[in-house]
Amino acid sequence: MYDVCIIGSGAGGSPIAYELSNAGFNVVVLEKGKNYKEEDFSKDELAVSRRDMFTPPLKEQKHIINEYSQSGKFVRYDGEESGWNFWNGSMVGGSSNIMSGYFHRMKPKDFKLLSSYGEVKGANVIDWCISYDELEPYYDKVEKVVGVSGKIVKHKFAEPRSTPDLPYPMLETNGVTDWFDKACKDLKFTAIPTPRAVLSQNALGRYGCYYSNFCGSYGCASGAKGSARAALLQKCDAEIITDAFVYKLDSKDGKITRAYYYTKHGIKHIINAKIFVLSAQAIESSRLLLNSKNEEFPNGMANSSGELGKNLVFSAGGSGSGRFIFEELTKEQQKALMQPGLFFNRSLQDWYDYDDGCRTYKGGTIDFLFEHQNLISRVNREMYDEEGNLLWGEKLADKIHKTLTTSRVLTFEVFNDWLPTDNCNVSVDDEAKDKWGVPVGVINLNSHPQDLEVGEHLAKKAVEVLEGMGAVEIDYSISASPPPNLVAGGCRFGDNPKTSVLDKNCKAHDLENLYVTDASFMPTGGSVPYTWTIYANSFRVADVIKDKLKASKH
Amino acid sequence: MDYLKRRAFLKAGFLSSAVIVMNGCSVFVITTSRDTIKVLQNDLFPKAKELGINTADYIGIVLKHSHISQEDKEYLKNGVKWLNESAVEMYKKQYTKLLAHERQEVLKSFAQESWGSSWLDTILRYTFEASFGDPIYGSNNNKAGWKWLEFTGGEPRPKKVYL
Ligand SMILES: Cc1cc2nc3c(=O)[nH]c(=O)nc-3n(C[C@H](O)[C@H](O)[C@H](O)COP(=O)(O)OP(=O)(O)OC[C@H]3O[C@@H](n4cnc5c(N)ncnc54)[C@H](O)[C@@H]3O)c2cc1C
Ligand code: SF4
Repeated sequence: MYDVCIIGSGAGGSPIAYELSNAGFNVVVLEKGKNYKEEDFSKDELAVSRRDMFTPPLKEQKHIINEYSQSGKFVRYDGEESGWNFWNGSMVGGSSNIMSGYFHRMKPKDFKLLSSYGEVKGANVIDWCISYDELEPYYDKVEKVVGVSGKIVKHKFAEPRSTPDLPYPMLETNGVTDWFDKACKDLKFTAIPTPRAVLSQNALGRYGCYYSNFCGSYGCASGAKGSARAALLQKCDAEIITDAFVYKLDSKDGKITRAYYYTKHGIKHIINAKIFVLSAQAIESSRLLLNSKNEEFPNGMANSSGELGKNLVFSAGGSGSGRFIFEELTKEQQKALMQPGLFFNRSLQDWYDYDDGCRTYKGGTIDFLFEHQNLISRVNREMYDEEGNLLWGEKLADKIHKTLTTSRVLTFEVFNDWLPTDNCNVSVDDEAKDKWGVPVGVINLNSHPQDLEVGEHLAKKAVEVLEGMGAVEIDYSISASPPPNLVAGGCRFGDNPKTSVLDKNCKAHDLENLYVTDASFMPTGGSVPYTWTIYANSFRVADVIKDKLKASKH
Repeated sequence: MDYLKRRAFLKAGFLSSAVIVMNGCSVFVITTSRDTIKVLQNDLFPKAKELGINTADYIGIVLKHSHISQEDKEYLKNGVKWLNESAVEMYKKQYTKLLAHERQEVLKSFAQESWGSSWLDTILRYTFEASFGDPIYGSNNNKAGWKWLEFTGGEPRPKKVYL
């Protein structure tokens, strides 16, 4: 019997595997995807971005998506028919292999949304049951163990830190960041070098970043990117079983007894362990629990509260861009602009909260980055003229050539709170099944109107910067469409077993030995991408499990 | 909506007989799709040929790809039929048998319909995949597409194709 069985090998599961196996416990990780190592990764745009090699084909595994409008009506989409894809990265290390690694900590007030900003009508805003101070040592641990590079700059909303600076120096940046810094200075905005989960030098038994030009969406061939695999799983001897799709957990007398999994050929296996840790990414973790009904838990495993699957959140906001064109630049500036590889790495958090004269709003973060280098995607964007007519022949070729060789796009991404609401949650479908015959997850989507207002406010600030830098074709889109890669909630943690699924330590209130350590526990998402927080929280829970196992040995 | 318009169009039977003949034997249909697409790709993006890029063979990869759905493959073939129907309607000949300026006229008329324009959009996307994907897939001739756009590619390059 294993001491610990972890389901899903991404950012949520791997800190547990690392800590517990390095402490001498017998750990097994069940992962439905394959194991890719550094030498398996390449910058093959066709495979990675056009054929989605890291995610399951939708005809085999999909979601049902119900999109709610403000009136409470919804439209049902079948993921396979509509191509609406909520998979991110299915492999050892999960989506963290292909993340960009823009890392921000949540801020103290993010843990106290209700008491800091008050109730929002129509939203289920609450305070977290832990404070920033309780998580701070673990944010710090992530900096050191996973590796975070950058430079801390003081600003109005900077969160308190136990160390003065990040342990790894800033990555190299493109000369265009100077234009950005100047524009921000003129506007009296504080430009922040974006912390990155990327090693800027050889360290931790991994190579430093070689500026491959293809970071987000691509696996890292050097180990510089702080994926759960490179940073944690490859640094411990937890046993990893790949091609293991866990479809059910069973329980007896308030304890999980076993996990059941299928291989891709449908062969069934059973795993026994003392402690089970679920971290299949937010939506899939709720789905697995909902699919694990039994006599003890007729409404889904760990669901005596009826809260399982509820209050799913994403990162709200959107993105925008501006273009720099050769015609308006000196030769030297043109050269700086086209320099490949080096990062942009700038963020703004001046409006982490802001006042509109009547009340204080929770705002968010803006990250600036160059448009993705994917060549085919960039060419595809040139197919139409300004009136929206399809181009072809010489006209098309000229447009492609001019755009791609004499201009470059700077983009920005806005991250603000996606307020939790009643109509945004996970359930399982009565009819649609995946290739194993297991009911697929239903994603009920709803966004609160305030999410868009805040997003707009932030996007306008980003536009001011792009204007100040001399960009043209400035445009942005703030929308209610959810980013599938930035998802949290579904198994809220809290002190009250009637209103939350997990306790303060991310253990199910209902079960002695079940923990959920991906982003499912988060009652609200904060206004930053989640992965630093996922890692930190998982390290925190790892300490709890370690103490528990140690105590049971004595 | 557009789909219904398309259906009505088909039902009206604008020389659909020619298409049925072409559809008679599935192997013949594939070669016909190939011929049409080859000529069409060159009409839409002649730059590829100039750069020595073989975009037509790449369509063979698309039609066999494990990560492209059957519906998407059918759609490619159906469009060949639609384009030929437009050609026959306008000039009483298959697309490949037309003169260059006649083909341009067909394209202009075809692109007016949203179903026509979205099919051309799809063909262009695959044409760009052939032209600007990694040379390991066999079409981006010695990085000719990359060089044309002063693109350096990313390292490491793939050691094998993903099909
Ligand atoms: C392109 C991209 C860019 C990103 N950029 C950033 C960024 O800049 N900053 C940031 O903070 N975050 C970023 N993210 C998000 C980040 O990757 C996720 O927040 C993080 O990986 C989530 O961790 P997780 O453990 O919840 O899920 P994952 O890391 O996805 O791991 C879940 C694992 O569980 C497996 N699994 C699922 N179901 C089962 C099952 N039933 N049985 C067995 N195994 C199962 C999956 O195959 C997967 O490997 C990005 C993501 C993507 C895709
Ligand atoms: S080498 Fe650097 S840029 Fe390339 S994937 Fe790794 S971390 Fe990203």
